[in-house]
Amino acid sequence: MDISSLIDSLHPLEIKVLTAFGSSHSGSALTTEQLAAATSLEPSQLSMAVEWLLAKSLLAIDKETVTPVASMTTVGERYHAKQSPIEEVLAAARSAAGTGQRLTIQNLQSQGGLDPSDVSKAVGRLKKEGALLIVQGGCIESTGRPSPTAERLRMLLEQLHGASRELEAFSESDRQIIMEYSVKRGNANEPFRVDERVARSFKVASGGITALEHLAKETATEEVSQLSPELLKDGSWRTKRFRKYTINLRAPRIAIGKKHPYREFLDTVKTKLVSMGFQEMRGSLVETEFWNMDALFMPQFHPARDIHDVYFVKQPTHATHIAEPFLTKVASAHRNGGATGSTGWQYVFDVERAKRLVLRSQGTAVSARTLASRPAMPGKYFSIARCFRYDQVDATHATDFFQVEGIVLGEDINFRTLLGLLNLFAREVAQAKEVKFLPAYFPFTEPSVELHVRHSRLGWMELGGAGLFRPEVTLPLGVSVPVIAWGLGLDRMAMVALGIHDIRELFTDNLDMIRTTRGLF
Amino acid sequence: MPTISIFKKDFESLLGAGPRIKRPVSIERLEDWLMLVKGELKEHVAETGELRIELQDSNRPDLWSCEGIARQIRIKQEGKLAPYPFLSKKPKITRRVVVAPGLAHVRPYVAACTASGYRVTDEGLAQLIQTQEKLADIYGHKRRTVSIGLYQLKNIRFPVTYQLVERDAARFTPLGMETVMTLSEILMVHPKGLEHGHILAGHERVPILRDASEQVLSFPPIINSREIGEVRSGDDELFIEVTGTDLPMVVLTLNIFAANLADRGATIEPIEVVYPQKTPLGKRVVTPQDLGRSWTIPLETIEQALGQKLGGQAVKQALQVYGYEVTSHTGSVKAKLPPYRQDVMHAMDVVEDVAMSRGYAEFSPVMPAQFTVGGLSKIEQTADRARNFMVGMGFQEIISNILGAPEQYRDWMRVTDTPWGKMVEVDNVMSLSFSCLRQWMLPSLLRVETASSRAFYPHRLFEAGEVAIPDPSHELGSRTETVLGAMIAHATAHFSEIHSCLDVLFYHLGKTYTLEPVPHPSFLEGRAGKIVLSGKAMGVIGEVHPEVLERWQIGVPVVAFDVNLSQLIDHQ
Repeated sequence: MDISSLIDSLHPLEIKVLTAFGSSHSGSALTTEQLAAATSLEPSQLSMAVEWLLAKSLLAIDKETVTPVASMTTVGERYHAKQSPIEEVLAAARSAAGTGQRLTIQNLQSQGGLDPSDVSKAVGRLKKEGALLIVQGGCIESTGRPSPTAERLRMLLEQLHGASRELEAFSESDRQIIMEYSVKRGNANEPFRVDERVARSFKVASGGITALEHLAKETATEEVSQLSPELLKDGSWRTKRFRKYTINLRAPRIAIGKKHPYREFLDTVKTKLVSMGFQEMRGSLVETEFWNMDALFMPQFHPARDIHDVYFVKQPTHATHIAEPFLTKVASAHRNGGATGSTGWQYVFDVERAKRLVLRSQGTAVSARTLASRPAMPGKYFSIARCFRYDQVDATHATDFFQVEGIVLGEDINFRTLLGLLNLFAREVAQAKEVKFLPAYFPFTEPSVELHVRHSRLGWMELGGAGLFRPEVTLPLGVSVPVIAWGLGLDRMAMVALGIHDIRELFTDNLDMIRTTRGLF
Repeated sequence: MPTISIFKKDFESLLGAGPRIKRPVSIERLEDWLMLVKGELKEHVAETGELRIELQDSNRPDLWSCEGIARQIRIKQEGKLAPYPFLSKKPKITRRVVVAPGLAHVRPYVAACTASGYRVTDEGLAQLIQTQEKLADIYGHKRRTVSIGLYQLKNIRFPVTYQLVERDAARFTPLGMETVMTLSEILMVHPKGLEHGHILAGHERVPILRDASEQVLSFPPIINSREIGEVRSGDDELFIEVTGTDLPMVVLTLNIFAANLADRGATIEPIEVVYPQKTPLGKRVVTPQDLGRSWTIPLETIEQALGQKLGGQAVKQALQVYGYEVTSHTGSVKAKLPPYRQDVMHAMDVVEDVAMSRGYAEFSPVMPAQFTVGGLSKIEQTADRARNFMVGMGFQEIISNILGAPEQYRDWMRVTDTPWGKMVEVDNVMSLSFSCLRQWMLPSLLRVETASSRAFYPHRLFEAGEVAIPDPSHELGSRTETVLGAMIAHATAHFSEIHSCLDVLFYHLGKTYTLEPVPHPSFLEGRAGKIVLSGKAMGVIGEVHPEVLERWQIGVPVVAFDVNLSQLIDHQ
């Protein structure tokens, strides 16, 4: 690690400890106590910083001394405040002697608070010192002689009460008693403890000397938090230090301006279609039944024209007129085929019904209008048209949705060029290499085809429907060349691209969702 | 598009034992074959052998049964349709149905036949009932145009009379009931009477079928008699009758039933229907009757439409294995439809049958080669540019339903009974939430704001999309125009903030505008302006009225504008 990144890596606590050694580089050592005084750090912080510095070899241990220190435990404090077991046993024996009562070890053990093992240890010691006798029947009798152990123990309890002392400060015999009555492994119930106090002193290691020099230089320059025009103008940024940021924190959130994810998807489709030579068509949200259905050779008794499939407009209910010659020609195509070579549907065409206003239920209505407006020949057209269906809204049904539809007109249009166009759509719009063409039924096309493609993420899916417009559709609208009518069902692809499972979410009102939905196109 | 249920075993036995038919039929094979009938397998219950099949072609009722599907596939395998003997030119007539006068304006037509020698199986009965229901419901427009009755032949004495009677002049026990009822009681009480009674509305006298011993067979199109008109498994003599308002459809429906029962082994005996007056098929009409029309189609028409040279022989072959009777001529084919079909209206329908019979996979795709110029409409180009400027100004685009609730579009905007509250409304409302078309964009923007108070602020939203503006002078009563709406919402949102955005937008769209104060009820008075170009208002801008915010339950100030892009691009 080079020196500047080493410096950058130093924690403020480490810097504090290191700089406590001053810039003298004298190599003078400082003890832990001296460091604590110089840095005024808590012992825990100090020891943490020292350990880090030792690990980085910026600091080295100069000297290390280990001193045994005796101190009192909570058990010892209790002995000090009352009596130690040995004192208690002795006192009990003496008072028994005074009253002439017989005192057994069991009596002692049943006395309040005395631990059986403490009792036996005390009795053993007192008997050895000749302060007690054990007579016939396991009775204890006082000899009247003093117990040196009990006396020394009392002295030591006084001396160590509230203060610890180096073990070396005690006489040999006291040291023995302290050791005997110290907490040991397996026996925590003792009045004293002996700990090893490690006293260390430290000096700056060679790496630390370089670090200190750098630190000294840095502290000589002023730290600023923000570069400013003033600093740039007078060049004083050169003498400043810029406070370092913790750059791995989470960035604050912002909301950007952007298009709706569904729009992004529709835009890719739009761009594809334009690149393939399609011209955009626009239509009206409100249409007559004539352009929405009659012109498409859907008979007026067709089940999909039912009140339960299409939204009717309340006011006005009917259009003022339908343009001629289309009305007359379409009506006769329905009645008996007119001049289309068809038998027609053989029913009484209702002109008033044709004028009934509905909410556009299929994008093909836009295509029908285009056919009747002198389209280019050859020509390719598309629309991304909002359509409305009388449907219960749920996760897979919308009542208000976009349809991608269009037409292709030209002398070279036939069933095989229809399949060719669908192949192109499969490749360009769905990036699918495998396609299947299935026979299909639409009232306005013959032959009709369903396009199925193998989508990279959805498997086999229906991408769209298409066909050649029936002559009963094209001829009354003044078009005498064959016309492909096509429609693509893209909502499922859109939902996969946007990672949503409910069609209603395409038009969600949840701003968080709109802001964070990421399209995979 | 009916979905029907068939049983695989039944289907296999109807397919016959032709040399090219391997049984059991695999599901993959079946799905392949279904392309011939525009069918899609929706469900296969392996344990019971039940197959649920959706049939797309609403003009091919002959395919809406196990018999019909099997027939279309069988013809393809056997090479041609075996003739139905009951359609011979000079049938022997032993039974008659007599039509009494007066039915012409109620339900004029009837067709009938008998079927014997086939003992009805459970599967066969299920198909008979399903076909009866689907044909009457979908092809027969919920029984209005066509309805069907099935009976046990042995209980009927001929001739049967089809006649009109007063609603209280006839009584019988209808299917599904225990007691004798008059026709008016049936119409008022019986579920089928309640469901279909409206078909007879306005007619004091209603149709019935009665036999020679005066027993009522049925009350078409409502219900059959329980005594005669209930067919059970095991019956082996049936009488089938179809009534309706369209003679070709009535005859076709009977033809389909006759063909279906003949395919199951029944002998069909035609019946002569005697009308009081002349019908398009004469006064005496023998049914079933082959009405299959012949089409002479130039080979060139077929080849041009399909984009492929096929030759007369291949076309003939394709049509024969699809059920047509075909004769070749130089440069054309004459194709006669089978008796159970009437769906061909144009030569193009025959062209499709050629393609389906050969299989769509037989046609290799060809790219359309003619050059065309692609492009966007002027309004879409402008909307796209406006979207880009709005995005550049930090606005998030939203997309909304155009259909909405009048309460929100009108009451919550404080524009009830004002010119701004006029909208295109739906007549047949399904849900009030989707019952009128927006005529400007602000309600769509507020809809998102209402739902998004927990999304961090500021909120800068826009939508560019279509609206419908009522206009009595327009032939459709409204104009569809493209509008751009934008709004800013946060604790200190201010008029000048949104004004700056409008200003930049117009600068880049190259348009000069002025603001004129407007007392628009959706905005705070004195803080709203019309956006005016050469004296014509093309939008509105302002601070949204606190009462509007309250109604939408929005807790922060909102400033917004709404610009009609369609009018803007028309303006020079």
